[in-house]
Amino acid sequence: MGMDIGKFLKSPEYEIKLTTCRDIFQAETLENDRFGDEYKKHSAAVLMGKDDLKKFGLKSGDRVRLINSYGTVVVEVRETKREEPGGLAFMVNSPWSNALVSDDTGGKGIPDFKSITAKISLTKDEITTIESLIFKK
Amino acid sequence: MTTCTGCSLLCEDIEVILENGRIKETRHACRRGAARFRGCRNRLIPSVDKNQTDIDTAIKKAADILKNAKSPMLFGWSNSTCEAQVKGIELTKKLNAAIDDTSSFCQGLLIERALQKKFRTCSLEDVRNKADVLVYWGSDPQDSQPRHLSRFSVFPRGESRQRGYEEDRLAIAIDVRESNTAKICKGHFYRIPLRGDREFILALMDALSGKVPKYDAKRILELAGVLKKAEFGVIFAGIGLTYSIKDDIDILIPLADMLPNFHIMPMVGHYNMRGFNEALFKETGFVNRVKFGDKPVHDNKYAIVEALKAKSIDALLVVGSDPISSLPRSVTSHLASIPVICIDPCVTLTSTIAEVTIPAAASGIESGGSAVRMDGKVIEISKVIENTYLSDVEIMTRLMEGL
Amino acid sequence: MPTVMELYQLLPKTNCKKCGESTCMAFSVAILGRKKKVSECTPILEESFKKQKEKLESLLLPSAGAEETGMIVHPELCTGCGNCVVACPVDVANDPHGAGIGCAPTNDKVIFKVVDGKVKAMNIKECRRFGKNRVLCYACIDPCPVGAIEFV
Repeated sequence: MGMDIGKFLKSPEYEIKLTTCRDIFQAETLENDRFGDEYKKHSAAVLMGKDDLKKFGLKSGDRVRLINSYGTVVVEVRETKREEPGGLAFMVNSPWSNALVSDDTGGKGIPDFKSITAKISLTKDEITTIESLIFKK
Repeated sequence: MTTCTGCSLLCEDIEVILENGRIKETRHACRRGAARFRGCRNRLIPSVDKNQTDIDTAIKKAADILKNAKSPMLFGWSNSTCEAQVKGIELTKKLNAAIDDTSSFCQGLLIERALQKKFRTCSLEDVRNKADVLVYWGSDPQDSQPRHLSRFSVFPRGESRQRGYEEDRLAIAIDVRESNTAKICKGHFYRIPLRGDREFILALMDALSGKVPKYDAKRILELAGVLKKAEFGVIFAGIGLTYSIKDDIDILIPLADMLPNFHIMPMVGHYNMRGFNEALFKETGFVNRVKFGDKPVHDNKYAIVEALKAKSIDALLVVGSDPISSLPRSVTSHLASIPVICIDPCVTLTSTIAEVTIPAAASGIESGGSAVRMDGKVIEISKVIENTYLSDVEIMTRLMEGL
Repeated sequence: MPTVMELYQLLPKTNCKKCGESTCMAFSVAILGRKKKVSECTPILEESFKKQKEKLESLLLPSAGAEETGMIVHPELCTGCGNCVVACPVDVANDPHGAGIGCAPTNDKVIFKVVDGKVKAMNIKECRRFGKNRVLCYACIDPCPVGAIEFV
């Protein structure tokens, strides 16, 4: 039958290093509607090079869970626009990337926005909504 | 012609075509600027405790919250006009409150040093007219300040650079990934590891002083050679660089000293973040994180991030910013326990949890004033369409009256 | 556009200096930049290099049919950065105090203008790739990081 049941049992988890970047297309959607689908499409994503995708058994368009001790999000994984050597993945700066940033600032007020470590695994869960990233009052 | 507030380049050559009192088309503004002029889908409405009300009631409630708080903070500012920022500082003084802006977790460290004249800097016109070596370090202007290369830094013909980018300019990128900007600097893209900037700087300083760098010798020596020959060099220091060397940012100073023909320009995102830094610096000698009392005190505990972590503020006024979006989720939980007042043209993540929301005019479109470009030049911004929104400076004035 | 390496691979690679350049690599750069002609390499005129000579000449021909097919702009890829507006030699020549110095175009004689955040092309007949003295100009393609302009 050929169905890879193994893929849906507990998926392997890998530790990855993440940094954040900027993207003008995402900025355009932010100006328009930060609660909209376009902003979500550009922001709820992690990008990695072809070699890393292969190494983690992922393909562009898969949904992945990113988790660390500060938070967790489900985003889409995609290949970077240009060739990137392995070892570093990228997210456009957004509430999704901020869900994973450490609160450790050494008392100096600047969090490590661009230096994130998280575990990545394939998931069937839906992409995290922006509403769920807001604290309820 | 009007000025765009999409980023800190404050492009003054934008044509706006109006139809029936609304913006139909923009010309010359980049994709982000054009989106800025189009405006957001969901305008903020005045509310108190999530119930829609009139603006005067909302402003009065906001004034009451601030008046009765013991340790309020006024935060945001980078999307406000200079006039509103000055009024905001005045309001903070009157309240003996704390004030902080987005530079606190962004480019504040660099802008502070630029204002203290710890390194040489220059104007964007200087870049266009004189610069022959441009270094984009941890900076991707093609995405964040899209017309930077076309208006000033690489492509124009300048007074001393008549042959433009073809022969008179060399663009170099130093980054952890091949950004859109790095792609344009093909052949001169130095890929460094995450957090590798400090090591790169030290190796570069070795090469510049005639020693063989311990790390990546061939590339670094080549780069040092190019930098030494520059007649008028500029390092565009982006947030990637700042975040990487934030614990020892002063390492840029000896590097700058070794490059006497070089200038450092902090790359800024929001259209008027530098305006706030300059206004507060003029008033207190500090660019952010100040508490007013008998005299202004500057301390890390008045940084928005530290104040939220320590739960030391009991009310927060947010002007033109969205901390729930921009700050790590791990530090914002205190916002759920204190009254938050949001002043903004649009609905934001923070405004959805705010006790009071006050809609503001979008500056540069619905209201005018002045702003400070990333290089420190003051630029006028204008009202382009008639509307009934209160401008940011009008709201600040009414808040002061309400105290 | 052929690369220097592609051209070099078709040359004798003997560095004989008969063309006046010190190496075949330097000659490749010179013919790519139209500073020298392929026929200045006398060894390549020999029968044994006939195929290479023909290939070199076809690589260096301006693209045929350029005046008919022209330019394609992909606005969905464009960031509105204006690099093409300022880099285009026609824009610089026709608007020296506007596009030439990095400002918005001040007249309608330019080829590129940014409208609603995306580039629009006009006056395409002015483009250096067309007409009698056409050249393979890359001024709008090289500065574009997203490939929003292409020629077919």
